[in-house]
This record gives sequence, C-alpha cells and structure tokens, in this order.
Amino acid sequence: GPGGVAVPRAGLKKWTLPPDYSGITIPEKPKLKFMDKVPAVPKVRREPRRLRDIRGPSQVDTDFTQGQYGILALGGGYLHWGHFEMIRLTIGRSIDPKSMFAVWRVPAPYKSVTRKSLGHRMGGGKGPIDRYVTAVKSGRLVVEVGGRCEFGEVRPFLERVAQKLPFPAVAVSRESLQEMRREEEQRRLDNQNPWTFERVVTSNMLGMRKYLSPYDLQLKGRYWGKFFLKHRV
Amino acid sequence: GWLPALQLLRRGSKAVTRHWKAAHFQRQKLLALTEYLPPRPALPPRCLPRPAPPQQQEDGYARVLRAQLEATLRASRMVAVCQYNAMAEEDMATLRHFLRRHNIHVKFVLNEVARAVLAQSRLQNLLPLFVCRNILLVSPEPRAREMLRVLRGVPQVNLLGACIDDTILSRQGVENLARLPSLEVCQGQTVAALSLLPSQTCSLLQRGPAHLAALLEQHIRRLRGAGGAAEPPPGPGTA
Repeated sequence: GPGGVAVPRAGLKKWTLPPDYSGITIPEKPKLKFMDKVPAVPKVRREPRRLRDIRGPSQVDTDFTQGQYGILALGGGYLHWGHFEMIRLTIGRSIDPKSMFAVWRVPAPYKSVTRKSLGHRMGGGKGPIDRYVTAVKSGRLVVEVGGRCEFGEVRPFLERVAQKLPFPAVAVSRESLQEMRREEEQRRLDNQNPWTFERVVTSNMLGMRKYLSPYDLQLKGRYWGKFFLKHRV
Repeated sequence: GWLPALQLLRRGSKAVTRHWKAAHFQRQKLLALTEYLPPRPALPPRCLPRPAPPQQQEDGYARVLRAQLEATLRASRMVAVCQYNAMAEEDMATLRHFLRRHNIHVKFVLNEVARAVLAQSRLQNLLPLFVCRNILLVSPEPRAREMLRVLRGVPQVNLLGACIDDTILSRQGVENLARLPSLEVCQGQTVAALSLLPSQTCSLLQRGPAHLAALLEQHIRRLRGAGGAAEPPPGPGTA
C-alpha cells in the first residue's frame, strides 16, 4: 500500500449463507427400488431385435422431476439386471437415507433378448430368450438423486456408477444440464461454417442422400449408430 | 429394372452396431466439411483490457463494523494510530488496564474497514498509516502524556500518528504536545504575559517623582553632612 510495505494477511471473513433446503421432501422409501431380472409376466413370443430403440436422441425422461442430481446417458445401450444391481447397491451404499433419496428413471428390463447356444452353426431357428434388458437412448436420465446434499458430495459416486454403464454417461445436476444445453445452443448459433449437415441433407446437396440414411434427416449428423457425437454441432 | 436400395443391406452390418461402423467416404467428407468453426473476432480477447472483476457484494458485517468505527471516531477527541506486533495475552491485558485507567480505549481495526471509513471523513491524511496490523487508542480526553508514558514501556506497540482535537499530529507532534504544560497553566501564562505591561504602568508613572525624591534625599543628606551647624533649609513638602 502507499507509504509502507504491505504484509499479506487475511481480510474480513466473508460469511456465506448455508444452502437452503426448505422445499425438499424425502419420500418414504429413499433407496432405489429392487428391479426384477425378468418381468412379472415373462414374454412368450420372442421379439425382433429392433435396434432403433437405441438409435438417436431420447424423447422421454430427459429432464429432472424429483431430484437435483442424476446420471445422463450420452450414448445408446441396453441395461440388464447386473447393471441395475450395481447401480442400486452403489447408490444405496453411498447415500444417507435420512437426508438423501434416489429414484429410477428407467423401467425394469422389459425387452427380451435371445441368444443361441455357443458352438453351433447358423440355422435351426431363433434362439431361446437369454435375458431381459432395458433400452436407453442418449440424452436420457438413468437415476436421479436428491435431498439435503450438494453436487460435490454426490458427484464422486455418481461418476463411478456412470463409468460402469455400457454407454458413455456423466453425472449432472440441474444447473450443469442447463449449462450444457445452453452451450450446445450457443455453439449451434455462432457456428461460422455456412455449410451444416442439416442444410446439406434437407436440400439434398450434391445428391448426398444417396450415401446417407433417411434417419439422418432427424439425426442431423450428431448420431452414428448408437453413438452420440458430442463435438458435432 | 431398378432394384431397390435394400440390396445394399446384403453386405455389411446393421445400422446400429456395437463397434464403430466405418462410414462411407462421401459421408466422411460431408462430416469433415460440416464441422463446427468457432467465431474468430478481429481482436483476440487476450489483447483487450482485462474485464473489471465482478463487484463484491456489500457485506452486512463490514457495514456494521464501519458504523461502529464511525461512531467511535465521532465520540472521541483523541485518536492515536499505533502499529501492533504480536504480544502475549497477559501483556495485552496489562496494557489495556493501564490505558483504561486514563480512560483510553484500545480498539483493533481491520484495514479495509478503516480505509473505507477514513476515505469519507476529513482524516484522509491518516490513510497511509493503515497498512499493517493496527490498533486505535481512542479517548474522549486528550491525554497524550499518560499515553506516551504507557506506550514507552511496551516495545511491541509503536505510535504512528494521532488526531487530537481535530489536529493531525505525527509522532514528534504528539511528543511535543505531551511536553506542553496543561491548559490552565497556559491560560495563566498568557494572562500574565498580557498583563505584564499594564502592571508596569503604575511604576512607570511613578518613576519621575520617585527619581526626584531620591535626588532630594541625597541632597539633604549631603547638606546635613557638610554643614552640621547650619540649619537645614526648609524643604518643600513633597507631593
């Protein structure tokens, strides 16, 4: 400072108000429900593969309902009972049921998946039902966690769960999801490239639709198979 | 005839695969063409001046401290700023006790609070003193001599400056002030100095006749001594 050598020392302590958890109610069963391996009415008829339930963005369960934090899927995939148990047990171990709760955002496995026994040649009909799975598209929330807690407390175990899922996933909070969407929108708006995938496909420039799928009209180059290409605008 | 495009599905895998399916070259070219290009402003942001940091929100606690300091400064006639070095708790308590005897209060002030308060008041020349750890010795009476005597015995507290009776003094000034006699004595001295000349008026006026009387006395003595037989001449009665 003027007139002397300033010795660095701490100034006035800035008191921050503690977080306000007034509007949060914890439901009676705060832990995750047990999901059956097989639905109560198992399917008799073996169903076709229908991989389109993995492809593209999700139209359901993309926003938060009860909790503040969750796991967002960034790719498509199938969750089977092993995954459900892993999620249920990890989150059940990490949350405090008195002050935090968790909620499923995916249904129990409903889709039957067949598998032929190993070592046999092709032919002989469709294999028997091996297991049941749940289809998850990218952009869908898998679980939601809420209660009297901060993102920093919840993020470590949510990240660990997200890494173990068969598709890329990330732990998000309401604010971080909003921020992600806002950034995506901003990238789309301030893109300096006059040529966008959407523009080329909708107007079929250079006959590109010969090499692209009709689904690319909706997917707009951001999805390829079950993968979600985050870097693309 | 024209065969439908379903023929293309004969070779290769389905649309959704576990592995990364190799894309047609035309598709790769299209994806390379339509990549995201970030905006490039004419002047890169690192060449621009740094944006002003976000204004710190007004802290209620800081406001309370400032109000307290303003009230203290208003209520006291003497405010001395001292540098404070670490000393033991009991030494601090002893110092506080001795100063309290002369009705001097010890206050610890935070520099950021003090700077904010002094910048608005008329004591702006005391601002350079608030650099390191400071204490304020405030008192409703200007007891400079007692304060200096107590502080002389404490080496950890050094007087930097003071504001006594709306006058900003340095350390030398405070020492000079302490050496001055008290107000009553000064007043008496002033009165005596002013009344010195009038007191001399009486003796000044009497100086002429007194000189004459002395001369005549001397003359009488000489005459008495010279002519003892001769009668002293009748002297006029002196007024």
